[in-house]
Amino acid sequence: MTSQDTYAAGRRTGTSVPHGGRSAAPVPPPPPPALPRRGPGGRRALATVFWLGLVAAVLPWWLDTPAGSLADTPDLLTGAGRITGLVAGYLLLVQVAMMSRLGALERWVGGERLSRLHRDLGATLLVAVLAHLSLIVVAYAGLEEKSILGEVGSLLRDYEDMVSAFVAAGIMVAVGFTGIRAIRTVLPYELWYHLHLTSYAALLLGFGHQVSNGAQLFEAGPVRTGWIAAYLLVLAALAWGRVIAPLHFNLRHRLRVADVVAESPDTISIYLTGRRLNQIDVLGGQYFRWRFLNVGGWWQSHPFSLSAAANGRWLRLTVKVVGAHTADLRDLRPGTRVWAEGPSGTFTAAHRTRERALLIAGGSGIAPLRAMLEELPAGAALIYRARTPADVLLHPELDWLAQARRTSVWYVIGSRHDPGPRQVMSPEGLRRLVPDVTRRDVYLCGPAGLVDEAVRVLRRAGVPRRQIHLATFEL
Amino acid sequence: MRRAVLAITGLAASTTALVVLKGSPGTSQAGQDLPADQASVAPGASGPGVTPAPGPAGSGPAPSTRPSAGASRTPDTKQTGVTAKATTAAPRTTTTAPKPSTRTVTGPTVTYRYGSLQVQITLSGTRIVNATGLGMPQSGGSGLRSDDVQARYSGTSGEVVAKQSANLNTVSGATYTSNAYKQSLQAAIDKA
Ligand SMILES: Cc1cc2nc3c(=O)[nH]c(=O)nc-3n(C[C@H](O)[C@H](O)[C@H](O)COP(=O)(O)OP(=O)(O)OC[C@H]3O[C@@H](n4cnc5c(N)ncnc54)[C@H](O)[C@@H]3O)c2cc1C
Repeated sequence: MTSQDTYAAGRRTGTSVPHGGRSAAPVPPPPPPALPRRGPGGRRALATVFWLGLVAAVLPWWLDTPAGSLADTPDLLTGAGRITGLVAGYLLLVQVAMMSRLGALERWVGGERLSRLHRDLGATLLVAVLAHLSLIVVAYAGLEEKSILGEVGSLLRDYEDMVSAFVAAGIMVAVGFTGIRAIRTVLPYELWYHLHLTSYAALLLGFGHQVSNGAQLFEAGPVRTGWIAAYLLVLAALAWGRVIAPLHFNLRHRLRVADVVAESPDTISIYLTGRRLNQIDVLGGQYFRWRFLNVGGWWQSHPFSLSAAANGRWLRLTVKVVGAHTADLRDLRPGTRVWAEGPSGTFTAAHRTRERALLIAGGSGIAPLRAMLEELPAGAALIYRARTPADVLLHPELDWLAQARRTSVWYVIGSRHDPGPRQVMSPEGLRRLVPDVTRRDVYLCGPAGLVDEAVRVLRRAGVPRRQIHLATFEL
Repeated sequence: MRRAVLAITGLAASTTALVVLKGSPGTSQAGQDLPADQASVAPGASGPGVTPAPGPAGSGPAPSTRPSAGASRTPDTKQTGVTAKATTAAPRTTTTAPKPSTRTVTGPTVTYRYGSLQVQITLSGTRIVNATGLGMPQSGGSGLRSDDVQARYSGTSGEVVAKQSANLNTVSGATYTSNAYKQSLQAAIDKA
């Protein structure tokens, strides 16, 4: 039974008071961290580049259009159609660039944030494409006094590259709709993923009509040159991030499975070895996308965090079995070659804003936090939520780390409706456990429900949003 | 999600704002009209490989188009209002005196990237009632573009007649042809 093991705020290890302590004791100032800090500077720079690019994309239209020249409705519609077209062309580029897995992006913005931005921008792109298409068709139909369908027919027949442009729009609509969460969750992940890959085709298919029909891009000149250069740059980023850099990484490190051990009935740890592991530039809390090159697995790439900080001898992932792929991983044979892409993510000690941290883990969410604990300054606190004592993973290691790094660890066991967990996951409970919680960075990793709930509680307890770092295991 | 809603709202609002800013002629903008127009002519004329500028020999395109375009545009909407009244009045005069007041004026040949063209306009009094491009390319992609331009601009219900000026909306994918057309048209209007 779990109730006896529900140490809500009850048990703590590794501080000066071994049992029954009430709060994370204040700790003398730690030695200066050896870890390089990665502030939000890179992210801000990228945001600036994004906005400048957006302005640069629409500016040619502004300069080309004399004031007062949009007198009647078709003119206005054409104008709006051209603006949305330029915006759509630009956003498509940004969308692809964000998914290029370029090292700088993955380190500065982080995979999770990138995919959130990608989803929001995707919705905007979809609307821009649909607006561009319908505005132009309606406007031209008005100018040429044709029916809408007749105009579509003449666009497809008489204009260069319009067939491929319509195909590209169709692809983007399909990708956009399957990106809607409700639809996405009922589709197999692989189907969704491969459909998404066709957006590269949309990038190429949509390009032709921009330069052959785009009022601002048709003419040779700096605008057209700049536009083409931007497309080439993104293609280069893709080639670099998706092909060249991973090839280099994997040829250099040649990772293999060394061992697979059970951590609990439904969780395994996979140990990897390889060459020059001490030269991998990875931080605790980051993840790679892994491909296990055996018969059934080579075509699937799944993200898993490292569950131990880099030590130069081995890498480790701790994986909870949730579906077909993770179930197969239990049967991995030692010696299996592994293809890794990464590291990625900003869920690291280097991205903290304060000296001390509070970590909140749920289930397998302990994996990245366990790795991060090794790199956080002493004095961190960890709250580990698990349903039963058997679900507590890496227990001995956590106890050991608690001693070695002067970390307070609470295991909060039970369902979320049990009194213990309910009490801890409330603003008052948190403040009692960690009185200086508002002056700490809080790292959250676990099931989406737990993370959302914890964010609400933390905000109510007064923790500023920029001190809250999330990893939901969802891309 | 919240960010997506914001972004989409922003897209809609800023597109509308841009279009409205460019759309309203407004009396106060009459002064701004000139430089804006100049800016739109200048890149076309100075862009690499664009021949229209030196094309019409001796007509000095830039200085001649500028003032007239500016002059004809500001009262643009008002002018169409006036001409609408004129046309309602016109039938009466034409029924009483079927004076052959229509005349045709042909603009200079403008050479551009895909060929050369000339615009011919038909005027009834000071009102343009018809326009057509002559000698436009007939084959291939440029032929198609010429057809687009012709379809948009020319004819008794084309944009030239509708707008009564050379201030036409550039046809997508036919910038060169559009510019050449507008240039010859402007010269024809100046001549008329
Ligand atoms: C950044 C990140 C770090 C992660 N770290 C860990 C970890 O340390 N330990 C751990 O146990 N799990 C981790 N996960 C979750 C893990 O990737 C999924 O549980 C796993 O991919 C599920 O695959 P499946 O085929 O077994 O399950 P399925 O039943 O097929 O999928 C379950 C869910 O996992 C997600 N998923 C499936 N395949 C992928 C994929 N290729 N890429 C991204 N998401 C996918 C989907 O949302 C899907 O709904 C992490 C996820 C992310 C995004």
